[in-house]
Amino acid sequence: MDPSKIEFLGEKQLVNIVPNFNLDIIYLISGSVGPFRAGLPVKVPIWLAVSLKQKQKCRIINQEWMNIESLNDRKEMEKMSKLFTEMPSNHYIDESQILLNVANDDIPDADRIRTSVKDIWDIRMSKLRTSVDAFVKSEGVHARLDHLTAMEINSIRPLLPHALDQMLRIQSANMGEINSQYSGKK
Amino acid sequence: MFGKEAIKLITELDMYEDIRPFNEQVMRQVFKEMQSLYEANLIDSNAIQNEGNNELLPSVHFRHTALLRNKRCILAYLYHRIRRLRQMRWELGSILPTEITTNLLNAEVQWFQNYNKSLATYMKSIGDNHGLNLTVNMSPPKTLYVEVKCLADFGKLELDDGEIITLKKNTYHLLPRATCEPLIRQGFPPDNPDIDVGNVHLRLQARTPKILHLYP
Amino acid sequence: MEESLEDESLLDDNGEAELTAQTALQEIENAWMNETFAPEILPHQSDLVDCMLQQIAHMEENVKRLDKNDLRALVHRMELDRIRYVISSYLRTRLEKIERYTIHILSEEENRNPDEEPYLTPDELRFAKEYLANLETLFKTVALQHMPPNFQQFEVNKFTVKPNVQAHVFLRANQRITGVVVPGTLNEEIDFEEGSQHIIQYSAVAHLVKSGAVQLI
Repeated sequence: MDPSKIEFLGEKQLVNIVPNFNLDIIYLISGSVGPFRAGLPVKVPIWLAVSLKQKQKCRIINQEWMNIESLNDRKEMEKMSKLFTEMPSNHYIDESQILLNVANDDIPDADRIRTSVKDIWDIRMSKLRTSVDAFVKSEGVHARLDHLTAMEINSIRPLLPHALDQMLRIQSANMGEINSQYSGKK
Repeated sequence: MFGKEAIKLITELDMYEDIRPFNEQVMRQVFKEMQSLYEANLIDSNAIQNEGNNELLPSVHFRHTALLRNKRCILAYLYHRIRRLRQMRWELGSILPTEITTNLLNAEVQWFQNYNKSLATYMKSIGDNHGLNLTVNMSPPKTLYVEVKCLADFGKLELDDGEIITLKKNTYHLLPRATCEPLIRQGFPPDNPDIDVGNVHLRLQARTPKILHLYP
Repeated sequence: MEESLEDESLLDDNGEAELTAQTALQEIENAWMNETFAPEILPHQSDLVDCMLQQIAHMEENVKRLDKNDLRALVHRMELDRIRYVISSYLRTRLEKIERYTIHILSEEENRNPDEEPYLTPDELRFAKEYLANLETLFKTVALQHMPPNFQQFEVNKFTVKPNVQAHVFLRANQRITGVVVPGTLNEEIDFEEGSQHIIQYSAVAHLVKSGAVQLI
């Protein structure tokens, strides 16, 4: 799946904005947004927040989890844990990228936040590559992937299933000659 | 070696991404080869049946395999060409540029027209015959803005949402990408505030604003 | 913590209607993802599609009455673009599968248990048949008729391309599921906790995808 599609889904997440205009509730098909009162925070989906921000009709407020301290805590936890820790959002990477790009001026410490998030992503991707490697080598037939986020899954999508498919193909070809047994390890 | 001609068709597919002129010459060669293989096999099969000359069996089998391979290559050639044609329907629309059509057989043009019709019928039927054009909205909508610098006075421009902006020389504007593309293609915006620039199908996926220059 | 607009239980005068449209939209998105990641074509969701398109048409009528400059109109149009994109992408993916696995799909539809719902809509079925006929015509005209006798057949069996249902997919369990048979392990069974994510061969979970017990991600 194209990353832009993952991003598209990520844009459904809600974010707080402070509008500079007044407007009654808008009854969108995906749910209601508003009412909008200038100066008062209101929750809207990110796709709307971005559009309003670009039209200079609002200011975007940080997601709660997008602050330096808690991100650094997460980074440490991720480093220490062999497994994948739970992320504050299934779209933490694309969400933060979109918000930081469009609301650089609204979000304090935007650059440091960006770096922090990227660090977490790098740690997790490195873990992921190791896991995938081990999985393929052990001819795994199933694995549990709790806490992996959408973009992370998407990044290994081309590789992992394909590699496993190839192994399956090779194995099926050898089936007649070698009596192979799957280990069935998780 | 049998199949040497046929493989040329496959090689051609592999070497070029676009649709080459239909290789009638090689096609004819392959048909000729198939015919002579077939005739040879007829003779040998008869010999096997009538005279019990089973030593001919391997040759017959061999020629038969060659025949199958030739058939496979030819059909693969045809199939992949129309897959590329199909792609063009989705990327370029229902009318093919002449550079492409000159490379096609009449039968392929016919295929394209039939595909067109079939697709149109299907799209019209969507949503209880309300219809939906599936060849647009090919990528997720993004309200991307592009920063542009005007190099000359262009006058007024009406945006999709009704907003009217004035493009003066040396001013910078943040314009919706959908508005920019036709302007950049044309070279300048129409000097008419009432013209609706309209919705343009975007193929690019830039994520960061770029600076583009509008030339008069 | 993730939030979505669906958590907002705001009801207007048409309280019920709004919830239905919302639910339908989420279901279309789910269908879109499933169709994107499943190797085979899945049962169609034309009721959902029709419903959603009606919603869109209705909304567009309403929006037309608004001033073009009204921010409200802009917001609605943006959402409508998003929904149209999902529907289009969903239907496109199905067409691609129909074109790739035409013969296989037509054969499956024909051999389907009469109790079971067809996977293709009548219009998709027609498209599939036309696509196959078109291909056959091309093959016959350009190639088959110029081949020696015995080789002029449009061999449906040989030309069949089947989807690889043993491909691995990622999924999230929408509910607790017990007794999933792990392929190739001599019938070892595992359970999926609600909300857990897994990678496994599609063939092991195809029925769960179709029943909605799991979501492909």
